[in-house]
Amino acid sequence: MGITRREWIAAISAASAAPLLHGTPETPAAPVGIAKCAAYDEDVTAKMGALFDQLGGLEKLVRNKTVTIKVNMTGPPGQRLQGLALGLTHYVHPKVVGATLHLLGRAGAKRIRLVESAWATAGPLEDVILDSGWNLRALQSAATGVEFENTNGLGKSRKYARFKFPGTAYMYPAYVMNQAYEDTDVFVSLAKLKNHADCGVTLSLKNCFGCLPASIYGDDAGRDDPNEKPTAGRGDVVHFAKRQPARIAPPELHPNEGLNNAGYRVSRVVADLAVARPIHLAIVDGVASTAGGEGPWIRGLRVVRPGVLIAGLNPVCTDAVSAAVMGYNPRALRGTAPFRNADNTLLLAEAHGAGAADLKRIEVRGVSIEQALYRYDV
Amino acid sequence: MWMRVGRWVAAMGLAPLVYAAAPAPAAWVPVRWPWADTQSLELLSGTPINCLLLKSPTPALVAAAQARGVVALGVVRPGGQDQEIERALAAKVDGIVLEGEFPEGTRAGIKGVAVIELTARSRLPLGSPLGPTGVIGTYQGVWPGIVLEEGGAQRSGPTSAVWIDTNTGFLRAVRAWGNATVWIANQPPPKTAVTTTRYLQAIADAGISGARWVVALDEDLAGRLAVREEAALGAWKRIAGMLTYFEKHPEWRAMPEGGQLALVQDPDKGGLVSGGILDMIAVKHTPVRPIPRQRLSAEALAGATMAVDVDPSVLTAGQKEILGAFTRGGGTLLSGPPGWKDPAAVEGAITLEKGELERLNDIWHDVNAMIGRRNMGVRLFNVASMLSNYLVAPGGKTAIVHLVNYSDYPVEDVAVHYLDKYQHATLITPGGADKVLEVYKTEEGWGVDVERVGVCATIRLEP
Repeated sequence: MGITRREWIAAISAASAAPLLHGTPETPAAPVGIAKCAAYDEDVTAKMGALFDQLGGLEKLVRNKTVTIKVNMTGPPGQRLQGLALGLTHYVHPKVVGATLHLLGRAGAKRIRLVESAWATAGPLEDVILDSGWNLRALQSAATGVEFENTNGLGKSRKYARFKFPGTAYMYPAYVMNQAYEDTDVFVSLAKLKNHADCGVTLSLKNCFGCLPASIYGDDAGRDDPNEKPTAGRGDVVHFAKRQPARIAPPELHPNEGLNNAGYRVSRVVADLAVARPIHLAIVDGVASTAGGEGPWIRGLRVVRPGVLIAGLNPVCTDAVSAAVMGYNPRALRGTAPFRNADNTLLLAEAHGAGAADLKRIEVRGVSIEQALYRYDV
Repeated sequence: MWMRVGRWVAAMGLAPLVYAAAPAPAAWVPVRWPWADTQSLELLSGTPINCLLLKSPTPALVAAAQARGVVALGVVRPGGQDQEIERALAAKVDGIVLEGEFPEGTRAGIKGVAVIELTARSRLPLGSPLGPTGVIGTYQGVWPGIVLEEGGAQRSGPTSAVWIDTNTGFLRAVRAWGNATVWIANQPPPKTAVTTTRYLQAIADAGISGARWVVALDEDLAGRLAVREEAALGAWKRIAGMLTYFEKHPEWRAMPEGGQLALVQDPDKGGLVSGGILDMIAVKHTPVRPIPRQRLSAEALAGATMAVDVDPSVLTAGQKEILGAFTRGGGTLLSGPPGWKDPAAVEGAITLEKGELERLNDIWHDVNAMIGRRNMGVRLFNVASMLSNYLVAPGGKTAIVHLVNYSDYPVEDVAVHYLDKYQHATLITPGGADKVLEVYKTEEGWGVDVERVGVCATIRLEP
């Protein structure tokens, strides 16, 4: 690439004439912590504890609260890259999940719910966790009051929760999701530091695309009522606009825009969700991950070992720092890496007022971006 | 043991075996022996191999093998078989292996030695009296392993599970006819240097189904072993270790399949194919008990809560009544759709054509929907790259769960949830010490966790 780390950081932080390359001063900004962690057999709990301490500690955020953690378990657990454990590639690693549970419990969380809309099933999340090779009993005992919910359908609830967008959304005026996302005081996005074939990167913001239940937004969702036995993804509804969601959810605002353009549509849905269901704590597992896509169904996917853990109290800021750690300009526009075929979710979320994607406005604590830099594009 | 062998030899009238004190055919551990020199036999030291299949047996090699208590069999293929048989007998082999399709009477024409036929699957004498050796075998098999696309990606979409080529469904269907000793004698893919792991998987693929793979080495490994290359000797040792693993537990071969799902099928139709309904169920890790339609009885269905009748059109009135009684007793029965026939492979093939496979897939979806996420005896988690077999000793006192990992990497954190009240669990692995597993309560029954599975592992469950 012919550019030093220092030069690169200076370049992506520099002001530019393009308006989107500037952060808006009124969007909130919060510190982001970075910790080095070369492998999962290091003391992940201690490193994450130090990371959270750099952000002011978890206690004031979670004491006596119900905490919901959306983990990233993209795709079916049976599909693996080169037969490797999922946590070493495109899923968050169970050690990071366990450490997060333990630290939240130690900080006084009274109830911790681990959630994910598991791929193509509404069965118990516990089954998916076991199929992923995670030790369910270890997770259950990592803290008191640990629960699990597959949010791909109603789950254990009797009704869905409606998250109305406060203002003008990009895509849908409201999103209908599992009750777990409403019945919580604190919402945590526990994501992976990886690329996404459509959206460029999938970090703490894009992780929450997985909150949408396939029962309503899935290819085989009912026309009127949700399908509580979903067996497919959300491509037809959300990625490609081939159909609208089940009528329990409102249709999209501009049904003729971005047709068959997942990089347009998914990025906007993700930005909407950042406002409709705000994230209080963003954690990005970048110890080991994948570059080139979000899962083994993407050709050319490869394993990377950035050896970092990143966390922040604002997801847009956290993702901006994470993207920079991956070697990208977090303010890059469509057509530029990593947003080659997509609109930049971070900038869309920033424009919604969800947080700042401007590195100049974000205080980085712990290890610097320069020290943590691991270029995903080689 | 000696008495038993002696009686068998006497009964068979097989003179050459008398002095050799050879094992009985049911205990033969066969290998296609690619070398002709007597020195090659030193490779047998420390292995359980006791039966050599020799393409061109020489008197010296045969005698040297017999002196070690190893059975020497001459392999004869169609075309010029009379001379080949004569030559093998002149070398004083212990038996003849007829590999391929021979004119009628060929077998009967061979006197005084054991004869083993390795036929096409479609010609297996299922349901017919077996020859004196009690060995039934075929040269047709798929090469076990995860199916890869061009470029090395696993064959599957974002929605589907990994597909594993396996002979287990076929072998289980054959074994359901009785306790024959089953040999599967397929060879490694030609012009391919096979990794050691793939050999281990081939042995285990047959082993977990109660059968034996006739070990066949690729040219590259055979050549390197001939010059005693160190890495090749390491591979050979691992192959021998996997053989030892299954030979140390002959009781496993006597254990029938357990679980609450029965599959009624004509073994000489769909049961003979690989990639059929049994393999589809196996990929889902649902324990299934294959029942040959011809042996369908109330006793065979005992303990089953669900049954799949693959081809209702071939049922006799009596068989229909048995299945009727099964449903009246509370069992769930899924029948193949009207007009649908259990597909057999076309002549010479052992897998189904695309059209047949798609039709079978429809039935598979119905089976899948019927089973859902139920625990049908054992439920396994984190086993996408594996196949399993749940076997229960007659009387139910002991059960085992075999696991074979077809990926190139060990799998960590496998969970096994089972229904019956087994309070003791032991992990048995090739070359490893037996390890007691902690049994914990689950919602449906009990469970154990296995930290790591290399190529193969077995969990023994006891009261």
